[in-house]
Amino acid sequence: MVSAPSPAPGGQSVTATEAPGRAAPPLPVKMVVAGGFGVGKTTAVGAISEIRPLTTEAAITEVAAGVDDLSHTPHKTTTTVAMDFGCLTIDDGLKLYLFGTPGQERFGFMWDDLVQGALGGLVIVDTRRLDDCYAAVDYFEHRGIPFAVAVNAFDGHVEHTLDEVRWALDVAESVPVITFDARERGSVRDALLVVLDVALTRAGG
Amino acid sequence: MGAGDEPVDRAPAVRPFLVTAGRVAGADADPGATPPMPVETQLVATAAGLERLDLMSFERHDIVAACRRPQSVAEIAAILRLHLNVVRVLAEDLAAGGHLSVYVPSADIARDVSVLRRVIDGLRTIPGSRGTVRDSD
Ligand SMILES: Nc1nc2c(ncn2[C@@H]2O[C@H](COP(=O)(O)OP(=O)(O)O)[C@@H](O)[C@H]2O)c(=O)[nH]1
Ligand SMILES: [Mg+2]
Repeated sequence: MVSAPSPAPGGQSVTATEAPGRAAPPLPVKMVVAGGFGVGKTTAVGAISEIRPLTTEAAITEVAAGVDDLSHTPHKTTTTVAMDFGCLTIDDGLKLYLFGTPGQERFGFMWDDLVQGALGGLVIVDTRRLDDCYAAVDYFEHRGIPFAVAVNAFDGHVEHTLDEVRWALDVAESVPVITFDARERGSVRDALLVVLDVALTRAGG
Repeated sequence: MGAGDEPVDRAPAVRPFLVTAGRVAGADADPGATPPMPVETQLVATAAGLERLDLMSFERHDIVAACRRPQSVAEIAAILRLHLNVVRVLAEDLAAGGHLSVYVPSADIARDVSVLRRVIDGLRTIPGSRGTVRDSD
């Protein structure tokens, strides 16, 4: 970690060796968009981001069963998984980053990396493949991250009612279950606002 | 990745130790230690860093050059096609050398009512008519 950061106004600690007056960065905040493959995470991020979604990798180190023949140490394989993100200028001093991350349980390591300090999460669901979102829902619940479940209505096609989805996911009453359209900026905006409303209530606002 | 995923800038699988001389930042490296530098952490080149750009090699050069304007760790990783943890390690080194300022956001921000209100107000100014339907509506 960066050594001995000093508190600075605006909620950031700075390891600066800097003359004052130089371009001060915005305060960055983030939200996480989770869900199975193909549910519309990248689409949603892209719909509201002011940059084309970028992709980066996070590393996953898996200790494979069995040992290396020569060294007799367990095999460690490092695979990587893509995570895409976009961002949005909120005001002069505040920038919102949106990180889309795959929802499978084995990507939990990535969520640990991402959710630290996240304002909240949006779990996107395709009603044809509800199971894909269980891991993400569990994760946000257990980590106490404010979140909402958003059914991406592929061309208005929803196979289950929201009540059925809520029942299937067994989420608390305080967790909003909504439908939205991942391709529509206004719809993504409103879905994020639903999450932030939960966060605000939780924060006592 | 499914067929529907269309990464714009997919970072190649970089072996972190090649670039960072054996040091690896992040959860993998030292579980239970200090949490890794958040991906949204802002990096800004210092005047001293920009002056010494020509003396820097490879990734260090590229990072400082890309941070003439503030950039997040995630953006630098994506733009330069570097592994997130490589960027974390190099950013620390560059900060220690006075070439980069590293602005680590406080984890408490997520519970800061005034920050949440600002994000809400900012989002509300975004145009777009289609909304969401809620089960409680
Ligand atoms: N018809 C329709 N297609 C969508 C919708 N949302 C996403 N898609 C498409 O579904 C595919 C997968 O979406 P993507 O955002 O890449 O999913 P991700 O894997 O969760 O990031 C892409 O080809 C999208 O264009 C939607 O609401 N309606
Ligand atoms: Mg995607």
